[in-house]
Order: sequence, then C-alpha cells, then structure tokens
Amino acid sequence: MGRIRVIKRQEPLGWPSCLVVLGAAGVSLVLSGILLGLQDRPPLTATAILFQGAFGSAWAIEDCLIKAVPIYLCSLGVAVAFRLQIWNIGAEGQFALGAIGATAAALYFPELSWLLLLPAMALAAFLAGGFWGLIPALLKIHMRANEIIVTLMMNYIAILFLDYLVYGVWKDPASFGFPMTPTFSESAIVGRIGDTNINWGLALCGICGLLVWIFFRFTLLGYELKASGENVRAARYARLPYERLVILVMVLSGALAGWAGFIEASATLNRLQPSIMVGYGYTAIVVAWLARLNPLYIGLASFLLAGLRVGVENLQLELQVPAAFGQIMEGLILLTVLAGGFFTEYRLRLRPRP
Amino acid sequence: MKRILLIIMAGILAWSPAAAEEKKEIKVGFIYVSPVGDAGWSYAHNEARKAIDGMEGVETAFVESVPEGPDSERVILNMARKDFDLIFATSFGYMDPMLKVAKRFPDIAFMHCSGFKTAPNMGTYFGRMYQARYLSGIVAGAMTKTDTLGYVAAFPIPEVIRGINAFALGAQAVNPEAKVRVVWTKTWYDPATEKEAAKSLLDVGADVIAQHQDSPGPQEAAQQREVYSIGYNTDMSPFAPEAHLVAPVWNWTPFYKEMVHQVRTGNWESKSYWWGLEKGIVDISPISDRVPVDIREKVLDKKAEIIADTFSVFTGPIKDQQGKVRIPEGNSAADAELLGMDWFVEGVIGTTK
Amino acid sequence: MTWEILISLLAATVQSGTPILYATLGEIFTERSGILNLGVEGIMLVGALAGFLGAKFTGSPILGFVLGGVFGLGLAGLHGLICIGFHGNQVVSGLALTILGTGLANYLGTPFIGQSAPGFSPMPVPILSRIPILGEIFFHHDFLIYFSYLIPPMMWLFFRYTRWGLGLRAAGEHPEAAAAAGLNIYRFRWAGVLTGGFLAGLGGAYLSLAYTHLWTSGLTAGRGWIAVALVIFAFWNPLRAVLGAYLFGGVMAFQFRLQALGTDLPSSLLLMLPYGLTIIVLVLSSWRGRGDQAPAFLGMNVEPSE
Repeated sequence: MGRIRVIKRQEPLGWPSCLVVLGAAGVSLVLSGILLGLQDRPPLTATAILFQGAFGSAWAIEDCLIKAVPIYLCSLGVAVAFRLQIWNIGAEGQFALGAIGATAAALYFPELSWLLLLPAMALAAFLAGGFWGLIPALLKIHMRANEIIVTLMMNYIAILFLDYLVYGVWKDPASFGFPMTPTFSESAIVGRIGDTNINWGLALCGICGLLVWIFFRFTLLGYELKASGENVRAARYARLPYERLVILVMVLSGALAGWAGFIEASATLNRLQPSIMVGYGYTAIVVAWLARLNPLYIGLASFLLAGLRVGVENLQLELQVPAAFGQIMEGLILLTVLAGGFFTEYRLRLRPRP
Repeated sequence: MKRILLIIMAGILAWSPAAAEEKKEIKVGFIYVSPVGDAGWSYAHNEARKAIDGMEGVETAFVESVPEGPDSERVILNMARKDFDLIFATSFGYMDPMLKVAKRFPDIAFMHCSGFKTAPNMGTYFGRMYQARYLSGIVAGAMTKTDTLGYVAAFPIPEVIRGINAFALGAQAVNPEAKVRVVWTKTWYDPATEKEAAKSLLDVGADVIAQHQDSPGPQEAAQQREVYSIGYNTDMSPFAPEAHLVAPVWNWTPFYKEMVHQVRTGNWESKSYWWGLEKGIVDISPISDRVPVDIREKVLDKKAEIIADTFSVFTGPIKDQQGKVRIPEGNSAADAELLGMDWFVEGVIGTTK
Repeated sequence: MTWEILISLLAATVQSGTPILYATLGEIFTERSGILNLGVEGIMLVGALAGFLGAKFTGSPILGFVLGGVFGLGLAGLHGLICIGFHGNQVVSGLALTILGTGLANYLGTPFIGQSAPGFSPMPVPILSRIPILGEIFFHHDFLIYFSYLIPPMMWLFFRYTRWGLGLRAAGEHPEAAAAAGLNIYRFRWAGVLTGGFLAGLGGAYLSLAYTHLWTSGLTAGRGWIAVALVIFAFWNPLRAVLGAYLFGGVMAFQFRLQALGTDLPSSLLLMLPYGLTIIVLVLSSWRGRGDQAPAFLGMNVEPSE
C-alpha cells in the first residue's frame, strides 16, 4: 500500500456515513451519465428525465410509494437476517412463496368476509414465506450448508413452483389457457387508502418497520443478534443458542418477504401470475445494505430505489434507454457505497519517511 | 365589414367538418414484452411501428422489455397521461392493466394483442399465425426422411399449442406418418436453452426442427447437424443457410396502418380483429430452393385456398392425442375453440403442460 | 433410451457443462486465495458479451474468446478493488458485481440481440475421435472444450507443486502467518481474484461463441451461481470440479431429452432438477464435514497490520 498506512478505527464514523451514501450516489449518477453519453444520449437531459419520471408529479410519487411497499418488506426481512450475518439471498423465492400462500387462501375461501380472509391470507403468506426461510436455516444448522447457495437455488425452485401452479391446478378456466389464477374476490383484495392508488400495504410497512426497529434497538434479543453476528464466540453468551437465532431470523426474514408477496398479489395484481416476479428480492438486498440495516433508512432507500425503477421507465419512453439501465445504477450505487464505507471504517495515515 | 365577416364565417363553416374528421397529428405508443432486437415477436411489431412512423403526422414511441403486471399498467398510464392517441400493448399479460387504464381515459384508443377483454375504447387484435404454421408443416412433412419432426415450444399457452397443431396437421396432410415431438423450454428468447432443446429433439431422431421462440438457437442446432429447420417470426436463413426451409412470419404493418387511419379519421371503434393470410398479417418467408418445386407449388396453392376461404386449417375430423374426436367431420372449429385450445392433435408427442 | 441417445446425451453433457467448468475453476482459484467472489454470474455475462462483440468486430473467434476473459478479469478487478483495496464486505460486493455485470452486459448488449457472430464449430480430434464411445463423447467438440480439458490438471499441479500455488493457498489458509513469513498476501489475493475473473469470463464467452453463436440478455441463466455452489461440491479441488460441472451439464441436457422422448411430467418440475440437485449436492458435501476443506480465511478480509 506504499507510504499510506491504513488503520482501522475504533468506532466506525457515524454521521459521515450519510455523506458517504450521498457521495456514492453522486458518483454512480456521474458514471451512469457517462454510459448514457457513450450511447449518444444526452446525460444531463437523461438525468432530468429520470428524476422527473420518478418524483416529478403527484402520481409519480404515488407510483414510487406503491412500488416501495414490497421492496421495503423484503428489505426488512433481509436486514433481520443480515444482522446475524446470515446471508439470506432468498428474498425473491420467499416473496414468491408468500404470494402462493396468500393466493391459496384467496382461492379456497373466496366467500369469507375480508375481516377473516385478509388475515387468513396474511397468515398463510407468513407461514409459507417463513417455511421457505426455515429450510435453508435447518440445512445450515444441521448440515453446515452455505445459506447463500441454498437460498439462491430455492429462488429458482420457488419461481418454477409458482409456474407449475398457475399453469396447472390454479389456472383460471376463463383465461383461455393463459397462466394465471382467477381474479381474487373483492374481500381478498387489500384496499386503497382513500382516493389514492396506494394500498394499505403501506400501513403494514409502517407497523413492521416500527416493530423491527424496536426489536433491534430495545430488546436484548435484538442486541444479541447483532453481537452474535459479529462474533460467533460472543454468541455463546447469548441466551438463545446460535442455532435458534438462525432459525428465528430466517423464519422472520422469509415471513416478511412473504408478506411482500401477499400485498403484491392481493393489492397490485389481484391474482397470481408469473409476472409477479420482478426482482424485488434482489433490490431488497441492495436497499438493506445501503440503509445499513436500519428500518428507518430502509424506508428511505426503498423509496429511492423504487423511484429509480419508475424513473427508468420514463427514460425508456423518452429516450429509448434499454431497460437494464436501472440495474447498472443499482450495482454501481452498491459498489460505491461499499468503497465509501472504507472511509468510515478506516483511517489513512502517511507512513513516516524511513 | 359585414361582408368580410360573412365570408370569413362561410370559410370557417366550410373548413370545420374537414377539420373534425382529420386529426392532424397523432401520437401512437407501443409496449413490448421483450427487447426489439430479439429478431422475433417484438422485432416484428417494431418493424411495423417504424413503417407507420414514416407516415405523415404520425409520431410513435415505444417501451420495450416491460414486465407484465403492475409495471405495464404504469407504462400504459404514463403514455395515456402524455396524451397518446392510440396505444398498442403487444402481449397477453398486458390485458388487465390496459383495461384498468382504458377505463380512466375514454378518449384514447387502446388495442391489446392476443387477449380477449374489451371495453368501449379498447379492442383486441391478433393474427392467424396457425395458417402460416400449417403451410410450414406441409414443407416439413414433405422434407422429413425420418418422419419425426421436432418442435421447440415456448410456453404451454393456446397460441403455441394451436401453432403446433396446425403444423402437425399440415405435415400429416402430405405425410400421414409424420409425428411431431414437442419440448417446452419455458423461454421466449434464450438461445442456449433453446438450442439444447433442439439438440435433444435431434437426438431422438427428428430431422426437421421448428420453433415457437424468437431466438435462432434451434436453427443453429439444425444447421450444425445438417438437417432441416423451420424458422419463426422472421426469415431465419442467415443463421442456418443450409438448414432453413421456410418460416412463418408476422407483418403487422397493414394492421397498424389501418388502425392509424381509423383513429385519424375518427372512425375507430372497439373491435376484435383476427386477421390472417388474406390481409397479409401472417405469411411465409420465401421457400428455400432445397424444397422440390412440386411441394412449393402445393404450399402456394394451399395458401391461395386459405386466402380464398375455400380451405380452413382446423376442419374435422380431427382427433386428439387420446384418439377422441374433437372436431367432427365436416365441421370447422369456431374461433372461440381455437382461442382456448389446450389439447394436441393426434400425431403430436408431448404434454400440454 | 437407446445406446445412441445415451451417447448423444453424454456428449451434450460435456458441451453443457463446459461453461460451468470454466467458471467453477475460476472461482476455485479465487476462493483458494481467500476471496469469495459471488459476482461470477455477472462476470460470465460480461465475458459473453465481450467475447461476442470481440469476435463480431474482429472477425476472429479466438480473439473474441480472449477478450471475454479480459473483460471478465476487468470486472473482477472491481471486486478486488472493493475487497482488497477498500476492505469492503466480500459477500455484498460480489452481489453488487452480479447486479452491475448483468445490468452492464444487458444494457450494452441490447442493440446486438438477434445478431450472430463468427464462432467455434465442432472439430473432431484426429485419431482420438475414432475411439468407440469415448471418442464420440469427448473428442467431437470445438476447440474451447478441448482447451478446457487442459486447465484442471494444470491448476491441480499449480496448487500442489509450485511455490506460487503454495503462496496462494497460504493467503487463503493462514494469511497472518504467511504475511509474517514475508509473503505479500495482497498480491496473491489479487492474482486469485483476477485469474478467477478471467476464467469466468472465458466461460461466459464460451456460451456466445461456441455453445451458440448468439447473444441475448441473460444468456448465462444462473450458471454462474451453480458454479459457486460447485466449488463447494468439488471441495475446492480442480479435478473434482470437472465431475461437478459435467454432472450439472448432464442434468440440464437430460431434462430436455426426457421431454423429447415423451413424458407426462410437467416441464416446470423437470426444469427444477438442476437447482434441486445443486442443493442436494451442496448439503451432502457440506454435511460430511468436508466443508472444512474450505480455505480457512475464505471471505474474510485481512485487517491491515500496524
């Protein structure tokens, strides 16, 4: 490293991490702008279109909020697992299972009143998503299987399972053979808040976010999660054995992502079909990391990344920018934040001349 | 002074009905489910879009790779808010989203491809690709030496199943022994997967490969094994010069031009269009010289018969895989039956799942 | 299934397994040095695009192939920068790389979907391809596959018998001890991550230059992730990686042949086979305790010394 010494700080810097994130976002924007320029698209105009599309009007902001709901819930789940340093990459599959669970309830009990049906769907989604999170946890504990690979493979399996159901037993007879379930009954649809397009899933986000925040901040268990994540030896002193912690976080993680699937199937799509999968589970990982696993910041980051998705669509419409542009920005932001994190964790000192 | 006013008023009166008839400038929007470069489904729509883009007073825009579901609703909504006059959604999964938006914007004309739900301001359209598939089946049935035709299929939805059935019927018309083996890839454009699927069909003895996907992967497989292939969506012979025999192709230009014309003259109303060979929406690419002249002529004769409506592809007796008669002798399948087709005809080996 | 179909299946297995093999070998090299690179999927896709465009614009498939590796190396360099240079979390950095690589490749490659590039075609090896059965399975392929036969033994020899190989392994197993002994851990880790990226890039280029001569977004379809899993299955041993890669290639090829032969099994379930098998294989490998074969300091950044 030459004449520069790198020293780890005792305590990572707190407030400058905001600056780091902002700086990282800025760098990503510049780099993305260069990319756009390379393809003969005016970078400044494009950036303007991006922002305008995402935040430039009341309905755009509404769209961002609607999109942010599933991202937020998945991300909350990811954060819970990451806190214990369990790398749950399976939010996508857990989302799918939650949607499947909720759909099962909706399809088999359509006549129930919403007072009973919606909670039933939520419970089904919780159990299904939680189950999908439980499997990797058990495999990790008992067979030492790496959770990164297991959760990832289970994403693919979950999506194929969803396909199997909507092409087969759950296919709507009135859909002319196309893969989709019948539309949910009125009582199975999570309603909209007042006059807006935003659904009550937003309230669910608020409640879950608050609960998780309290859990992390004020409960002993929440603290133990963090400590055990950072130091496996410290985990021995926790009240719950490490294995139980793993199960707890993975089930919770899966259940939260499952709820995201429930909201998306119920409120946004009003049915289950393969196109419910749009990669929220992966964006959630980016969001959780950017927000340093803090439920409040996760809210902000979810909103911003939802805005990115919405804005990119506008870019497509106006400038014919390929759809993959949003992914590039997500990746760049995450990488730059990681790089920036260096400066809050370490100090640089010049080595004294020999 | 009064005379001048009268002249002016007369002028305005003479001019206004014409103005009410013609919208000078219209904005037409397109939503595609895949990238336009896929040399396939979206590509064909986009080529037609380019054709109408050249028309005077027509401005077009498109968004590609839009996932079906809520994203598509937002994109359509966006277009509606930007005062587009005519919006085309080119995939089945856009149906419900488009319907939702159509209800909120009664002054805009919405057209949905390959669906079935309509509204006073939303119509549907599709093409009778199965007619072209039938013709390609004749070529395949005539050229196969092993009597085994391989079909690389995408997703088990009616239009794909219909295409496979028409292909099989065409092949059997010239070669009653011909069998069609089907492999599902669950992809629309994944060359690696589709090529592998084609190879597996070749391994079990197929010597003509047909496909429903948009990538030339299966064509490459056929070319490498020195057998024959049938393309799709566009003439795929550049990818398989020695293998490619013919391809059923789409040509949306006549339809889009018609829609634009109707909207501009104020004559547009919500209808369900299912055009075929007779309007040129579907067609077959030029048949390769490797196909003997008499077969080529047979194909073209059949094509003329279909256009003249003296022959219909799904005319009974037609049995399904289990031997049950699905379309009785002398009957022709109704459109509704075709649109919901979920069974294979006799001679097709594979599941519809 | 007749004999012929079985032999074609095995030959297809080799073809299907080769991109996975390249990527797995690359990741083994990286992980042995102590770096966990989860960005393989993104690197493969970038390699596929780079290889495709390289061959297309220079007219030379070989040049394209090398370029695929070079760009893979470049992207892996980012991972190295973040992890080795900036001490970033390796798991998250790898994920970010997958997202970035996939996005970049899909974005830059969009104009080229639907085009083809000059590529590699099967060339039977003289004499060897005449061997009954084995000849058909192993020696009727293209140059890139033959090249891939050379790498596992070379890598095995490298790790086992060369000083550099030893140093690389030390960087992954006992970095602090090695540093105390005067080895430059960072240099070995850089070598690990860059070589791994190069090989993964080659694996991706194989897809667009030999397996098909086409490019599309998402060409890799999860193969990069399977490679990461296979590293564990192979117990970080390059020779065993061959077994794993071909096993997976085989499963992918098999489920299509099953359909072609005519089965009533729903295709969704058949398509699950490779992923389910990965989990089973992973679990069995980890469970038998041999998961401890992992380099001891895999995934952990070395704290800078005072």
